[in-house]
Amino acid sequence: MSPVEIVLVYQSLLGIYGDRGNAMVLRQRLAWRGIDATLTVVEPGDPVPSTGSVYLLGGGEDAAQISAVKGLKADGHLFDALDRGAVLFAVCAGFQIAGNTFTVGEQDDVIEGLGLLDVDTRRGPVRAVGEILTRWKRPDGSEYLITGFENHGGFTTLGAKAKPLASVEIGVGNANDGIEGAVQGTVVGTYPHGPVLARNPALADHLLERALGRDLEPLPLPELDELRRQRIAAVRKTGTRR
Amino acid sequence: MPSSLSTPAAPASLSRTQRLRLWTAVRLGDAAALASRLAGRGSGASIRGQVLTRLDPDAFAELLQGHRVLAVSGTNGKTTTTSLVAAAVRAGLGAQAARLVTNSDGANLHYGIASALSQQPRADIAVLETDERVVSDMIAHARPEILVLLNFSRDQLDRHHEIKALGRSWRRALDAAGASGPTIVANACDPLVVWSAGTAARVIWVETDTVWHADGALCPACGSLLVRVPSAGRDRWDCPGCELTQPASDYRVDGGTVVLPDGTTVTPDLQVPGSFNVSNAACALAAAVEFGIPVEAALTGMHTVTAPAGRFATAQFGATSARLLLAKNPAGWAEALPLAASDPVVLAIDSVAADGRDVSWLWDVDYEQLAGRTVICTGPRAQDLAVRLSYAGVDHRVEPDLRTAITGAGPTVDVIATYTPFQALLKMVGLR
Repeated sequence: MSPVEIVLVYQSLLGIYGDRGNAMVLRQRLAWRGIDATLTVVEPGDPVPSTGSVYLLGGGEDAAQISAVKGLKADGHLFDALDRGAVLFAVCAGFQIAGNTFTVGEQDDVIEGLGLLDVDTRRGPVRAVGEILTRWKRPDGSEYLITGFENHGGFTTLGAKAKPLASVEIGVGNANDGIEGAVQGTVVGTYPHGPVLARNPALADHLLERALGRDLEPLPLPELDELRRQRIAAVRKTGTRR
Repeated sequence: MPSSLSTPAAPASLSRTQRLRLWTAVRLGDAAALASRLAGRGSGASIRGQVLTRLDPDAFAELLQGHRVLAVSGTNGKTTTTSLVAAAVRAGLGAQAARLVTNSDGANLHYGIASALSQQPRADIAVLETDERVVSDMIAHARPEILVLLNFSRDQLDRHHEIKALGRSWRRALDAAGASGPTIVANACDPLVVWSAGTAARVIWVETDTVWHADGALCPACGSLLVRVPSAGRDRWDCPGCELTQPASDYRVDGGTVVLPDGTTVTPDLQVPGSFNVSNAACALAAAVEFGIPVEAALTGMHTVTAPAGRFATAQFGATSARLLLAKNPAGWAEALPLAASDPVVLAIDSVAADGRDVSWLWDVDYEQLAGRTVICTGPRAQDLAVRLSYAGVDHRVEPDLRTAITGAGPTVDVIATYTPFQALLKMVGLR
């Protein structure tokens, strides 16, 4: 069996908030389970492989967003990969460019995104900066807390085809409307970093299970439970509850 | 044309009222500092500056008058470079060293600078570490003769949302200053620095050993993807979309040596470690020479710098001798980690405002290089580091208490800390 390929897309453009951590977490969680996995880091100008199982987009500034959209559209392989069932996990600026449109610059120029999520992003009334806590309903119906740090000026609204990823307990989320992130088919967008998959292993495993089409056995890591306990306690102590 | 050190600064021109208000604010600031010292709360420099600038909001601009100013800014290396320049100037001044004032404690915001200046009213030469956010005001109010711009990288993104925004403010300030603006001494290898200095009347370029390039992927001017062009020595960067390109250097770092504009090579005999400090020294040397200090005197002065504001200091914690290294952001960690050679090694992480509240950057740092050694994770965010190290395959244990983490580490240990735990450690051993 060929190894599971995790593809970190344009790390030098979209990797400002330690986003490569999400890719390291996915690869390592497979490796710990004895599943052969590789991490492919694609830099702008290089071809994007169409063989990946999970693709990752991370945070970046305005010019980087424009450059990334241009590069991914010209390359095209990401779209092919998604057509055959690969997973895309897009965080922060990556979430915004995966949508229909987003804005950049002091004049709020509207830029067309990748159109993979039915969402639109516009400049919000305030910048959302701080620890965030959301409630994610897992496929089995159980609830899981997602802890992270959000830092975004854009507010994102969902169209009919996209469903919320989670509901906000503390923080701003998509548009201070109680909704966080978006899911559409195998594309998942979200604002929190931390990186988010490092702090929320169940979300990491969910993406892997989607990509592999099978369940993975649990992977107990007590120090990760302790980190989650600390972060959830900290945000509940200092954060503003919705 | 380098200036002459013997030229005195133009005297300050303040009205009677301004002078009286400033005098009163300085006295009350001193009183607050004394009270703070007596209460055992440190040097009192910070509270002095805050009282001073609160009582006289113009104190920063007024105190800067009557000085010939050499300012140093950038994301990393400001404190060490300021110390190197100050030591060079001190050596150049010889018996007149009392003419020099500098904020050697690293207090680099408006009030820290005002505090330092208020303590040496007779000094007329100021070598000032300047926070990136204060650079525009420094250019407008101090009319510095020289401004050193070291580097520009991601740092405290919860506060500085866009790295480029600060550079934009520097461009505006330099543009407004026009021909009377400072001579810039700048790192030619950093595209963001080169762009930020682009509106300056005159720039001396230094080719450095920059190791961090992750924030220089795109052209800051036009957004094109920058390319790296192989050339003799190290690669150069160039923008295929506009005219921005790595400028030809006046000074060049070559291994542990610095090649001067006339082609001669000098070897700074530094007591601060790391190749990044050779780059800092090259910038300091260029600034000092431009300020009128002979190369030999500058090098002699720079040799005396050992532990600027506690950085690289070795201190005793019980039976443990610990070397203290500061790293505030991924670029800083990329420099500091290779220096930390001990096993175990202590890494201290916090996330209050001065550290940056978001510790996602832990995943930008190549902790994988520590594999084979043991890390003692300490500080309020030790647990985040522990998880990071598990994924990196690096052995570690968590000891949240700073002092216990160090004293439990054996006879000698290297410690790398973010800003707040670093300051706490200095205080523990009386270095602050």
